[in-house]
Amino acid sequence: MTSTACFIIVSRNDIPIYEAEVGSAAKREDAAQLHQFILHAALDIVQDLAWTTSAMFLKAIDRFNDLVVSVYVTAGHILYIYRTDLHMLECSIFVTYDICFVIHTRFMLLHDSRNEDGIKSFFQEVHELYIKILLNPLYLPGSRITSSHFDTKVRALARKYL
Amino acid sequence: MADPANTPLGKMLLEEITPVVMVLCTPLVEQSCLKNGISLVQMLSPFCDFTNIDVPVRTSSDQPYRLHKFKLRLFYSTDVRQPNLEVAKERLKQVITQAGEKNFLESSEPSQVNDFLSRPESEILPSWFQFFNKELVRTLSFSDHEAFDHPVACLLVVSTKDDEPINRFVDLFNTNKLPSLLNDGAMDPKILKHYLLVHDNQDGPLDKATKLFAEMRNAFGQNDCQIICINSSPDGQFHHQNNPWALFKPDALPTENLGGFLNLDDLNEIKDCLQELSSKRIIPYMEQKIRVLNQQVSATRKGFRNQIKNLWWRKGKEDIVDTPNGPVYTFSSIESQIRILGDYAFMLGDYELALSNYRLISTDYKIDKAWMRYAGVQEMMGLTYFMLDQSRKEAEYCMENAFNTYLKLGSAGRRNATRCGLWWVEMLKTRDQIKEAATVYFRICGEDTLHSAVLLEQASFCYLLSKPPMLHKYGFHLVLSGDHYKKCDQIKHAIRTYRSAIPVYEGTTWSRIKDHVHFHIGQWYALLGMYDVAVSHMLEVLASTHQSKTTQELFLRDFLQIVQKTGRTFEVVKLQLPVINISSLKVIFEDHRTNASAEAASVRESVWRSLEEEIIPSLSTTRSNWLDLQSKLIPRKYKESNICVAGEAIKVDIEFKNPLQIPISVSSVSLMCELSANPEEDANSSSIEIQKNESKTSTSIGDINLSLILSEVDFSLEGGETTLVQLTVTPRIEGILNIVGVKWKLSSSVVGLCNFESNPVNRRVVKGRRKAKHSPSNDLKFLVIKSTPRLEGFIHSLPKKTYAGDLRPLVLELSNPSKFPVKNLKMKISNPRFLYAGNQRELNADFPACLKKMNVEKSGGHTNGKKMSQSVFHFPEDISLQEETSLSWPLWFHAAVPGNIHLFITIYYETEGVSNIMKYRTLRMHYNLLVLPSLDVSFELSARPSRSQEFLLRMDVVNKTSSECFQVHQLSSVGQQWEISLLQPVDSILPSQSLFAGQSLSCFFKLKDRRMSSTSEDSTPLSLIQSDVRLGPQDSSEAPFDVSSSPLADFHNCERSSQGLSSQWYEYKADFIFITQLPKGNIDSGAPNTPLVFSHHACDCSLSSMSPVSWVVDGPRTFQHNFSAPLCEVNLKMTITNTSDSVASVHINTFDSPSSNSQPMDDATASEPPENQAGWSAIPVVSDTKIITNDALAAQSSKPLSLGSVPQFIWSGSSSTKLTLQPRLTSEIPLQICVFAPGVYDLSNYVLNWNLTPVDNKVNQGEVYKSSGSCQGYPYNLTVLEST
Repeated sequence: MTSTACFIIVSRNDIPIYEAEVGSAAKREDAAQLHQFILHAALDIVQDLAWTTSAMFLKAIDRFNDLVVSVYVTAGHILYIYRTDLHMLECSIFVTYDICFVIHTRFMLLHDSRNEDGIKSFFQEVHELYIKILLNPLYLPGSRITSSHFDTKVRALARKYL
Repeated sequence: MADPANTPLGKMLLEEITPVVMVLCTPLVEQSCLKNGISLVQMLSPFCDFTNIDVPVRTSSDQPYRLHKFKLRLFYSTDVRQPNLEVAKERLKQVITQAGEKNFLESSEPSQVNDFLSRPESEILPSWFQFFNKELVRTLSFSDHEAFDHPVACLLVVSTKDDEPINRFVDLFNTNKLPSLLNDGAMDPKILKHYLLVHDNQDGPLDKATKLFAEMRNAFGQNDCQIICINSSPDGQFHHQNNPWALFKPDALPTENLGGFLNLDDLNEIKDCLQELSSKRIIPYMEQKIRVLNQQVSATRKGFRNQIKNLWWRKGKEDIVDTPNGPVYTFSSIESQIRILGDYAFMLGDYELALSNYRLISTDYKIDKAWMRYAGVQEMMGLTYFMLDQSRKEAEYCMENAFNTYLKLGSAGRRNATRCGLWWVEMLKTRDQIKEAATVYFRICGEDTLHSAVLLEQASFCYLLSKPPMLHKYGFHLVLSGDHYKKCDQIKHAIRTYRSAIPVYEGTTWSRIKDHVHFHIGQWYALLGMYDVAVSHMLEVLASTHQSKTTQELFLRDFLQIVQKTGRTFEVVKLQLPVINISSLKVIFEDHRTNASAEAASVRESVWRSLEEEIIPSLSTTRSNWLDLQSKLIPRKYKESNICVAGEAIKVDIEFKNPLQIPISVSSVSLMCELSANPEEDANSSSIEIQKNESKTSTSIGDINLSLILSEVDFSLEGGETTLVQLTVTPRIEGILNIVGVKWKLSSSVVGLCNFESNPVNRRVVKGRRKAKHSPSNDLKFLVIKSTPRLEGFIHSLPKKTYAGDLRPLVLELSNPSKFPVKNLKMKISNPRFLYAGNQRELNADFPACLKKMNVEKSGGHTNGKKMSQSVFHFPEDISLQEETSLSWPLWFHAAVPGNIHLFITIYYETEGVSNIMKYRTLRMHYNLLVLPSLDVSFELSARPSRSQEFLLRMDVVNKTSSECFQVHQLSSVGQQWEISLLQPVDSILPSQSLFAGQSLSCFFKLKDRRMSSTSEDSTPLSLIQSDVRLGPQDSSEAPFDVSSSPLADFHNCERSSQGLSSQWYEYKADFIFITQLPKGNIDSGAPNTPLVFSHHACDCSLSSMSPVSWVVDGPRTFQHNFSAPLCEVNLKMTITNTSDSVASVHINTFDSPSSNSQPMDDATASEPPENQAGWSAIPVVSDTKIITNDALAAQSSKPLSLGSVPQFIWSGSSSTKLTLQPRLTSEIPLQICVFAPGVYDLSNYVLNWNLTPVDNKVNQGEVYKSSGSCQGYPYNLTVLEST
């Protein structure tokens, strides 16, 4: 049986940082862009849903014909800490402001199968991989994931769970 | 919430679900109406909408209520049927196409989404959507299962002109002509009839008509008849304000005066007539019917009993045939009656009654599986709920139920589903559930692509208008809609939707989406023939690296096709194909610094600067000089710009990268430059002429045909390939040259431009004067000065690869192609060890013969030592390079050390009278050569203890090459000091006289200090002293090489200075030159037939710790003694010579016990590693030659002492002797030992401590000699025998 599955990681500002066609269906050019369209359109719904629940796995949130979008939202990563020292002239007090930006990274999977448990496990394992990527001091959060190791692992997980 | 009736949906329902009046008229009536340009129905329709009435209505309940709004719909009997699907579709298509044309023209540049949102909703939503929706709903009118489209009444219209009007009335209602609804039993043919007599005032007075009307009233009843007069305006020029018919005849021309013959009286008459019809006839009729039906229904269906009965009865009916549309109900069936009741109640605004009836009937239909009817009823229930403004959930549930039921029916219910969906959407919109409305729109989309497109576009607007706006969805649905439009050839709509989507995807990194949108817009614009816009969109997708190869090919092919269709070449400023690596931009230009080759230009400026330091005039003074001059000549702002010379090319290196996987061809790559006349010089002429190279015809300055020469490069790039291209620009006249950018032609159709200035990237301007205040723009700006001479230089036959030791003459050729002479030439070579300038007369000398010793006087044996020490070679004063001549100058080359060698040569020359700005120039040459190791030569010098002035020289030679066979030629010592001779004939060591690859050779020589020997022996005259040893064939008459003359001596000096030694040599240090030949020049060489000469230089081979004093212990070697006597005394004699030029005080210490030996030993010996004592000595490596010092010797000598194995003997003479030796004098000291037993004694346990007192006038020698030191005694074996 051929299945469609398109996995994408979306970072802040809705920038995709990782894309992979992990389905077993034969690759078609226009399919890839359709998948992008569907996933991109689903971002609106993720935005709404992400704040209504504490669960990370948002399940199937959107659909287009027989294609379903499942989303997993990671806990907010503290991406940037700006430490600002303000020297108040009058009273000579140093005030330190820590400004944190907390954003979600969204794992989005477009699929046509109905295997919710598998998808959940897939997301969880990918999340672990993603955390490992984040721990890499050379990886700038929000930039594109180019690690081939990550890619092979994700594809292996997709074969296993989806 | 507002009154449901005032919502859009409410209004729509009040307009659409109203009683239908079927109109039957005679052709004459129609004719009269057409005089006004309108038909009868059109004429009447504007007056069927009663918004300001107040009619009491009493339906089922006893309590009457008042109806404020009422509307009749008039249709010709021929129109009372289900509209033709094809026609309807065609009409819709027209609507859409018209809207497309209109909107396309209006469409402006896609603005930001946020700007868009700030506008009011009515502006955002295109108005034609409403119209479209209405038309879509109307395609479904007059279906037989819905009663609200069934005519309530029939209006029969006859003109007064007709013959026998009364009969005509009867004829009109002829069942043959009636619509099928009435005939096939879907509705009751007994319908309310109303008779209308129309009188055309133009046909005559009203009298006849009145008479006829009276007849009518008698025939059909008082109330059922009416008469109206039309066309009362005689000239047809009556103008109506707010023409009431305009809405009903939208396709009318604006010039057409609708209703021109109808005056106000006519209108009022029509109005009154219709009002009467509705309030006095239709509404009462409907009331009546409702009441009757209600009674019937109550009797048969209401109440518990009836319900039970119904259930039972229904169940019993299960065996009836299931037709696809469920059972067929005739108008007389109770189900139809209920439906009619419901619809009438709805139309009269009694929604409660309508709802209860709908509910009742819906269960019936459900049980009967009459799905179409069931869905219709559900739909009506939903609408009724809405109008009641009650339970929203119920309303939605009903709508959804109806929608799904319709969908279940397949294609038959499809259009009903669409209608239901549209109502549902309106319902949701009214309740601000816009998001849900959008999903419903999406669900409506069916098999008709065009309708789907419009619906999807409406959906997208819903997403846009939802709070907060869902822009992602908006974009997606716009694209979907555009896709559908395209499928129906509505290209303008498609473009419009895609363009609206662009702001959504602007700046996103969802690359495929972006590509898709831009590519398709481009394609579609091209279809419309708007190639310019098409190209601009196609450009966006050209450099899509992430796409697959086929897609990239497609993009490129389509792009090129479109460009071709435009029929002209495009100039695109930001063409991404190929990608230009701005950071790779490298400008190479020549001001007063010129390069002989490209390699020279790539050398770092600092290398040259350090090299040129000595030869160019002092930088600061020169700079200020010509800056002063310059400031007079040129305005201040150009002072910072670089200088280049007219007629000389400026080279620009730039990298092109193909980001795609497919090959692209790039042609006509050239620089874009501007050459403007120097403003200062132009001051007298009024305008500044700027010449852009694009317009090559406008070469106005002077009569030169071209002021700029630009190189053009063509290349093609494979997928992912990067190539470095060198472009040149040659200004031919003076002025200010500005390099603006680069342009190229992609696939010979599109011209790409890249402006260097617009990219704020740091550029590497290789040869620019790097000043901090330089702005990058100045790096590309050049002051072009008058053409000055530029020397070209070349070294002939400099090998690229050679073996170490290679010695050969080379020729430097300098040529001056310009007309002006240059003079005052100077040259500096970075590495004099490898290359130095020879003498002009050596130019044509025969090599290698010129190196040989001449039989004549040694006058030729001069060296260039003086020249070399200066390191700058001055060409003779009288040499100047005239126009178009060349100068050859000999150079000597010697491959001193193996490795990758860079040779930098800079030649300075001055020009005169050509330019004030540039007085001198330098020519820079750079050569790179590979020197391979050839022979490894090491020398070991050891003193001969027995002879104080003779040394043993051991030479080890290893051929390190892999294939070459060197012919050993000679070994020479440099200078006059040493006499060298072979210990054994060469034939015995090396019969072939050649060293094969990998072969090694050890040779021993005797080295004799000539000064000493001359003083002592006084035998050979100086001229005959051999400082050369011929190792080659002895019998050959060839003269040996002359090591004391140039170039061998010069190179030797260089070797010395490179090793940090001064060019003077001293006693006890010997320098050797080992010369071999390679019979044929089979390496990379210019002259393969001449033998190559290799010289290997070894400097300062010496006994490094050799003391200035030497001594020899003399005495008997064997001594016989009768040991019966107590002790045996042996007398010895030590001859000490002071070889230095200083006064030496020598202190001889003898000591007896070996244990105490360690004390006076010198430090070098004590720190010697232990393995040295085992007889093995490490050979210290000094550069490429090995010099064995006598450290090891000292260590060996200390060995027996430390072992302590010597039998006892004691020194019996003075244990410490001190003496002072004058320079170059010898003195003898008596020594004596006492031996107690026979044996072999080593008399080396003494130490000579010496101390030099430098003589005043030779202070500098103290540097060479240590001022004091100590020496271990030599081993001296004495055998003492027991005498018998």
